[in-house]
This record gives sequence, C-alpha cells and structure tokens, in this order.
Amino acid sequence: MSKLPKRLLGYTDKVSVAPGDKIDFKISSPLTGKYDVRIVRLICGDDSDGGPGLKVDSVKTPIDGSYPARWQPIHHGSYAAIDNGAAFAATAITLDAMIWPTLPEDGRDQALLGNFDAATQSGYALYIDGSGHLSFRVGAAASVRLSTPLLSRHWHHVAVSFDTASGKVIMHQHRLLDYPRVQRSDTIDATIPGAKTAGSSRFLIAAWSDKENAAAHYNGKIDSPRVIGAALDAAGLAALRPHQAGKAPVIADWDFSREMAGIEIRDISGKGHDGRLVNLPARAMKGWNWDATEMNWRHKPEHYGAIHFHDDDLYDCGWETDFTLTVPAGLKSGIYCAELHQKGPDGEIDDMIPFYVRPPRGTATAPVALLIPTASYLAYSNHQMASSWSFDELSSGKFVTLSAGDRYLEENHSFGLSTYDSHNDGSGVCYSSRLRPVLNMRPRAELWQFNADTHITDWLEARGIAYDVITDDDMEAEGLDLLKNYRCVVTGTHPEYYTTKMMQTVRDFTNEGGRLIYLGANGFYWRVAYHEALPGVLEHRRAEDGMRGWISEDGEYYMNFSGELGGLWRRNGQPPQGLVGTGFAAQGFDISSWYDRTPDSFNPRAAFIFEGVGKDEKIGDFGLIGGGAAGWEIDRADELLGTPPHTLIVAVASEFPSSYHWVKEEFNHTHSAIDGENCPMVRCDMTFFETPKGGAVFSTSSISWAGSLFHNNYENNVSRITENVIRRFIDPTPL
Amino acid sequence: MFKIDSSRADLAAAYKKNPLDTYPSPALQKVLQRLRWGNARGRTIVVCTVPEREWRLGKMGTRRGMPVEIDGQAYNRYEDALWACFRARWREVSGEDCPVA
Ligand SMILES: [Fe+2]
Repeated sequence: MSKLPKRLLGYTDKVSVAPGDKIDFKISSPLTGKYDVRIVRLICGDDSDGGPGLKVDSVKTPIDGSYPARWQPIHHGSYAAIDNGAAFAATAITLDAMIWPTLPEDGRDQALLGNFDAATQSGYALYIDGSGHLSFRVGAAASVRLSTPLLSRHWHHVAVSFDTASGKVIMHQHRLLDYPRVQRSDTIDATIPGAKTAGSSRFLIAAWSDKENAAAHYNGKIDSPRVIGAALDAAGLAALRPHQAGKAPVIADWDFSREMAGIEIRDISGKGHDGRLVNLPARAMKGWNWDATEMNWRHKPEHYGAIHFHDDDLYDCGWETDFTLTVPAGLKSGIYCAELHQKGPDGEIDDMIPFYVRPPRGTATAPVALLIPTASYLAYSNHQMASSWSFDELSSGKFVTLSAGDRYLEENHSFGLSTYDSHNDGSGVCYSSRLRPVLNMRPRAELWQFNADTHITDWLEARGIAYDVITDDDMEAEGLDLLKNYRCVVTGTHPEYYTTKMMQTVRDFTNEGGRLIYLGANGFYWRVAYHEALPGVLEHRRAEDGMRGWISEDGEYYMNFSGELGGLWRRNGQPPQGLVGTGFAAQGFDISSWYDRTPDSFNPRAAFIFEGVGKDEKIGDFGLIGGGAAGWEIDRADELLGTPPHTLIVAVASEFPSSYHWVKEEFNHTHSAIDGENCPMVRCDMTFFETPKGGAVFSTSSISWAGSLFHNNYENNVSRITENVIRRFIDPTPL
Repeated sequence: MFKIDSSRADLAAAYKKNPLDTYPSPALQKVLQRLRWGNARGRTIVVCTVPEREWRLGKMGTRRGMPVEIDGQAYNRYEDALWACFRARWREVSGEDCPVA
C-alpha cells in the first residue's frame, strides 16, 4: 500500500496509577461512528516473526464498551499570549525587540509581535515575510517591508512605529555584528492610511491570532520585547537599544529572564501585561547581550533574556476526555493498555494506549519490582532520527528503513518531537511530553525501550516470578519510600535518562541493603529534570559530551526546569560505573555477541549466578535482538570511573564487528582504532558486587540481553542466569 | 576523498550477494560509507509497507510533513529492497549507474 491509513490516536492524563486512582483517556478518531474499548494486561508486545507474540490478558472493567468517535485537533507551535490586550490598540504605537531568527526564509509569514487576527484581518503585526524581510502589517492593508533581509542566527534590533492619525509607519532594523559588504541597518518611512490598531483581544509574541488559535509561528529567539504607546521617529527607534526607552510611555516591557522555570512571562513596566507561554518554547537561552562571562543562567539571568520559539513545539494537546477508568481495587500490578478498535471503510483501525498499574501506595504485592523507565520512554517519544540526524545510517550501519509509524510521523508533522530530534530550524529539542499521542512507545512497535522491555514481563510471567510494576515517575515523586518495599528491583533494557532524585534513590536503595538487577545498557547516562508544576514533561540539555542526537549551544547547558547542569552523569560527578559497576562503552546495531565466563565467575561469591551453567558455555549466543545477548548498546567496568574495587567481572563479551563504535566521551583524540574489531574498549562486562547491609548489584550491561530470555521456550543460559540472580536476590539472607 | 569507482562491479556484486553482511570487505565498507554519509532528506530510502512482508523504495521529502514518495515496485525480501536502495544511492552519489543490474 502506498498511502497511509489515518490512525486512531490517544493518550492518558497520568502514566502510573494505583487501585482507586482515576485515569483519563483522550482519543481522536479519523472516523465517525463508535469505537470499542477494553482494558488488557500486557504480557508481551513483541509480535515480530520468531518472537513470543502479542500476549494480553483481558480484564473486565466498567469502561468496557463503545464510545462515540470524534476528531480532536493538535495545535503545535509555541508562542506567548497576553490576554488583557485593550491597551495595545493605542492610537500610536511602537514595537521593539531583539530577535535571532533561525529560519528567516521559510516561505511563509512568521509573526514577532502584535494583536493581528488573520481571521478578521484586523490589528497589527511586526513579522518576517516568506523571503526573510522584516515586515509590518495593519488590518487588511498592504504591508510595509524592509529591503535588507535578516541574517539567520544573528541578533538584530527590530522596531516599528505606527500612528493611526497620520498613517505614518517607520520601521528599522540593525544587526549587532558588522560585516563589510553585508548591509547592517535599514530604515523605511511609509504610510498605511486609515488603518486601525484594534485587533484581537490578545497580544501575541512569536505568532499571530487566527480567532482563538495561533498561526504564523516564528522560529528563533526573541529577547526583551516592548510596546510603547507613542509613535517614535527614526532616531527614536534607533535609540531604543541598548535598552533605552527614555521618556516614552511604555505599555509593556517583558523580561524573559524572570521566573525562568515557569511558563509565565513578566511585564516589568508596571502595567500588568503578564503573559503565558504555550507549548513550551525553550527558556534560559542566551540573550543578545550574552558575552560568555557566565555559562550558568542562574548566575547572570540578565544575559539569558531570550526565549527560543519553534513552530513544531508541542506540550499538551489539551484534548477532551473520552472515558475515565477508576482502577479497580485488587487489580494486579502490571503493564496495562486500553485497546481500541474501530471498523472503517478501509478496514479496522486500532491502538493500544499503555499505562502502568502499581500496587496500592505504600505496599508491595511481590518481592520483585520491575522499574519501568518511563523517563527514558519519554525521551524517545515520537523520535524521528531518520530526518533529524545526518549520521543515522553511519551509526546504524543500515539504509534508512521507515516503519509505518516512522512514516506517519514524517508525513503528519504535528505530533511533537523527541529529545533525539532537531526542530525545523535545526536547533535541538530539549523538552518531551507525554500529553500527546506517542506512536512508538507501544506494543507491536520497534523492539526498543517499551516494547523491548516486554521481553522481561513475558519472561517473568513464563517463569512464574511474581512482580510489581513501578515507574520512574513514581520514584521521582516518592524516592526511597517506593523502592524500600522491595527486596529486588529490576531495571528495563535501557534506563538511560535519570534525574538527580532518581539517581539518589537507586543509590540509597543499594546502600540500604536493596538488590538491584541492571538488565540493560547505556543506563544512568543522561541527567534530566522533570518539572515541579507541569505534569508529564522532561527536560534534557545535550551538554558537553556523549553520544548525542544534537549538541547544546555553549552557554545553554543548564536546565531551566531545575537550574542544574545537564548532560552526562559522567560529567556531573556520578558515572554509572559507581552505581551499577558498568557504564556505556559502545554501540552497534546489526548483530549481537555472546559472553564467555571469566575466572571471576568461579569465585564462590558468584557461584549462585552460574548454577547449572557449564564452565565453557557460551552465554547468550542466541536471541531475538541481533542473534545474541550482548549487543546493540553495551557497557564496561572501569575502576577509574568508580566500579567498586570488589566487583567481580563474571563474564565478558568481546567479539564485535566494526559496526560497533566506541563511545565518544571515552576518547580524547579521534583515531583509527575505535570500532569493535580494533578497539579493546568495545566490550560488554557482566558484573556483580555486594553493597552495604547485605545488598548487591548484578549488571548484564547489554540492551539485547532481555531478547535472549525467550529462546528455546525460556530454557537457556540467559534465562537461567537471570532467574538464579532473582531467586537469590529475593532471599533475605545477606549477600 | 575516496571516490566511488563504477568499474568496481565486484564491490556492487558483493553487496548484492549479502546486503546484511556484518563483515563487508574494507573496499565495500568505503563504498557503503560514501553512500550513507549525510541526511536522508530528499534521498532514496527503504520503506516497510507490510511489516516483515513487503518493502519498497521511497524518497524522503525535503522537509517534515511531506509525503514520502513510494515506488511502485514491491519487494518481499528486505535484502532485495536494500539492494535496490544501494543501486539508487550509487547513482545519486556517483552520478553514474551502478555497474551491476
Ligand atoms: Fe539511548
């Protein structure tokens, strides 16, 4: 089929719920009529050839039934809105801002400031036209434009004055950086007779109104915009910067360096024109006056007065609720999905919307908890690496191969991006939200993160090991109180994104006698932050080093949600080796390898791990992910990075092809021996060490490990080792 | 900079024989690196049109939100689609036809 069918889409208000909690489902259908809903407990989401298959248990709940289908829109693109806009319809007006446009020649209008309403063709706007020229429009009249184009990624002072009495318009721009042969300043004198300033009741920054919606979204930074209730002359406009409003009657003067974590913008004019940001544009961005004397916005907020707006930012779709589930008392903890089906003219459409049911708060219903890495799922949500990355094929070793889901995201550009992606203007995406339809963190999707982790639930069920499901979001809210209910905590296959509190909680758990099984790789890698007030959104700055989808600009390494330095935990004083024994060493995505036992594996301390495993057995030379248990992403031990000195490296995988690449934060110079065939650092270390008070950590250090559990009907040495460790770790006898 | 040499039919033939080979020869590896360098926008890619059953060549739009142009020819083996993509890229990168049909 060459045309993609439209999809049934949905999301929930919460990610993790306990019995008695309510969870709202927000659904959009491309069809009319009704769709059917049931709740299922998900055992396995891998429906690929040779895999365990899609396995669900149906659960009867009061929401079973049919619901009326309706389409719900998504409005992407960030902007600021000031609602009480009457004062902006003054008879004489001057608009003034510093701007750093990132896509000035975008073939469409991009609004900077104004109360223009495209639906009624009323009000005014200072904007950039499709060919990158500063322009001004009032009502339905022809616009005025400057003939000197704006330069991408350069700071410009832009200003315009308009007097309704005379119709006189003066518009001015001046670039901060002077180049010979590239015109720096421009001013135009024109008239737009008979036009009025009354427009929308809202004044918008970085977009204009289209009735109650926003349109003409701007890509780029805006710093310290102002509105003055007088029409300044050309000299007056030029004199407005640096920041001299003089005696002019200021109507609004927004200082974006105030309350940096929030979504309020403050008017410091005293006129009370505070506004709010929609769809999370990037804050704590370098302003026009940033001079590299300070890299941390908290130390010099006055240098961080810019907000970077993007036409593809999306935080909360704000959809109406279609049905609400009250989680029944006694519902077994696990991964659940709302399963939706609807018959249409071209066949059935469906979706499975995941959520997590934890045990009643403060209790555990099993000695083992599977800690679902919801922060990492969020970071990867709706990723579009094939279009964002210039190195995707060289990293993966394959020609880009789009799945139906990848193609849907590429063709329907409104679902927001992941922290792996670049915005349309090429800048990195530093926020990712779950309050939108997420196509890839789903059953039946790629075997990465969510769906790969269902190889673990599938195996736990097959081996009859009772487990609870808890999430990163719960850990962020409750800390050690959540983990201390468990003897053994098991991670997912790729718990990559950790907040400060999550990191501390896992450390406290293992230091207080808890047992941790790190059943993955490239874990505990990036430092991220949740927002204190806004639900369901994560911030990430790709600072300084690491295997990065994009690179933060210098001076923009500090997160605005938390004020903390972003980037690698390894560059923030806590390499993962200190927490779990191993840390990210290499990645490659064609085949996976196997482990061989080391002399350490015969240490009596490790005997329980290898019970029933022969001394020369290859461990995991089979599996669903690349045909082996050691692969995709792999970790290694290093005492210099904090691997505890008493750690046993019990097995090592070291046979990797040249498609495996050593991670860049590990080498100081590029050189010719950094792949699986020629670099001894490209290896995967399985480790075990004891922690205080009888606790312990066991790490498989490979993303593909869980894909080998299913082999031979769960009878294999990967399954055996995992079970040996879990059974010992739930035994309270100190290790 | 290494240039793709259209007289090296042997390298194209080696790829055709096993597109999923994990250990391509160093000479073929250089060809693949040239074909894969850069962003996929506006270039020939593979699109899976029926999960695990059918693949076609596609062309990515020049920006997001554009339809992926899907080729009429369907392949029932992933390897065959990869080989077709290899040939298309050879043409796109070197300006000459791939020497193996
Ligand atoms: Fe990752």
